[in-house]
Amino acid sequence: MMENTYTISNKLKALAGVLILIGAVAIVHGFMSDPARTWNNILLNNMYYISISMGALLFFSLQYITNSGWSALFQRIPLALGAWLPVGALFMLLLYFGLPDIYKWAQPGITETDKLIAHKQPFLNVPFYMIRIVLYFAMWLGLFVVLRRYALREDSTTDLTPFSKLRYYSKVFIFVAAFFFSLAAMDWIMTIDAHWYSTLFGFRAAVTSIYYAVAVIILIIFWLRRLGFFGEFNDAHRHDFARYLFRFSIVWGYLWFMQFLIIWYANIPELTAYYYPRFIGEWRVLFYSEPLINFAIPFIVMMSDDVGKNKIVMKTISILLIFGLWISLFLQIMPGSTGLLRFGFIEAGSWLGFTGLFLLLVFSALGKAPLTPKNHPQLHESIHHHI
Amino acid sequence: MNTKHIIGVFDNEDNLLKAIKHLKQKRANIKDVYGPATNHDLIKAFTRESLLPYLSVLIAIGTIIGAFGFLYYTSVIDYPLRYGGKPLFSFPPMVVIIFLLTILVTGGLTVMAFLGRNQLFPGKEPVMIDPRASDDRFYLVMDQNFNPEEIKKWIADSGAEEIIEKEIDA
Repeated sequence: MMENTYTISNKLKALAGVLILIGAVAIVHGFMSDPARTWNNILLNNMYYISISMGALLFFSLQYITNSGWSALFQRIPLALGAWLPVGALFMLLLYFGLPDIYKWAQPGITETDKLIAHKQPFLNVPFYMIRIVLYFAMWLGLFVVLRRYALREDSTTDLTPFSKLRYYSKVFIFVAAFFFSLAAMDWIMTIDAHWYSTLFGFRAAVTSIYYAVAVIILIIFWLRRLGFFGEFNDAHRHDFARYLFRFSIVWGYLWFMQFLIIWYANIPELTAYYYPRFIGEWRVLFYSEPLINFAIPFIVMMSDDVGKNKIVMKTISILLIFGLWISLFLQIMPGSTGLLRFGFIEAGSWLGFTGLFLLLVFSALGKAPLTPKNHPQLHESIHHHI
Repeated sequence: MNTKHIIGVFDNEDNLLKAIKHLKQKRANIKDVYGPATNHDLIKAFTRESLLPYLSVLIAIGTIIGAFGFLYYTSVIDYPLRYGGKPLFSFPPMVVIIFLLTILVTGGLTVMAFLGRNQLFPGKEPVMIDPRASDDRFYLVMDQNFNPEEIKKWIADSGAEEIIEKEIDA
């Protein structure tokens, strides 16, 4: 076996530091010039990385549930991506100070003028909202710690107990995460448009999070390969990752269109009000580019197996999806909260800042454990994976 | 047209794979491989470029255009009935119908093209090389080659159980 331990390089640390600095400047500048816009950007970027984290952990547990041996080599990467969760919890709690800037239902006195929100008040109120955040993260972080502990314990023992424990807790995690991440997405994003609701929204957020997480995992693997790790990464692994992207692009397109078509058909005013500015108004360019980037391009390009598993194609599509998730969240958050289509230093800077923090956390987490598991029972199946 | 073919009989796929690799290296013409089971190595070693996927894509594109034309004709030109306050020409509901028609027509036509190309139809007499072909033996059927004796030797060297020569429908 080759060199197995990754240590975060000073160059990457410096890059992450510069990015965090840019982000800090952007957020401070934002709070002085336009606090509402800044709070929304913090929510957007935090949700962005929580999605990737949760998607990665869902991917991780999916491998155990489906008994997928091929991915055993790479299981440490989704595990490391979960490192964002504690910081994500912190930022979500921090939002307490900006709630009225994001959510209409959190504005004081809104219940007297708005009957619909008054009706939803038992659920949509600030204390319960904060309690829910604490509950969600308590469950996710607890299970994440358990999963990580058993995954790392595997290195020091040839016993199969950690593996069977991981399988058991993966089942627990996937139910908890799928249900409560759906709920969380509805809580944090959908209630921005407090009059609007979509029963599909949470499910869509949870399922598509795996899509973007796979894109990030692919990019990290390619990057680590350039540093000389993952010599075993072969054609068949690439094929499997490419298929993940391809199939999730279909799921993405299906769910996106499902939500849109039903609301378009039903003609119910509260529901149509959500799509009206996006479909007709100034957001329409973004609205059309969202399915183009997240669905049409990956779907058409990756349709052919040989093209799909091409390294350059995989990298390009993954990078495209990183922007796709941002556009997707931007379109879900901004029209309902600030209502202004603006892209400037606050948006770009805060995204860069969060990205810097994310890189720092994830790559330090990668360095804390060997990159490939040592005694995973399916490790050899993964190394010799071929189709 | 019946021609004589050299047929190698194998009792396991490892020897068969060895034979295929060797024959490919020597640029001998393999006609087909039959067997009760397969693995991915066999498929990889013996794959002939198929045009069927490209045909599927062509049929799919044709169906998309055709279905769109059909829907446009029925809802805008032939029977312009306004319902639900929607414009006569509205794309969203068309997507579902185009999607379903594309799957149906492409699936059906691709299967038919496959059956037609392989001359398969209901009630066709099965072409059996040997009764054991439906049991547990693998059959490597060679095409016409210039050096039958050498080919027989190569197949035998790879561990074939036996070598037969038989006239089969080409």
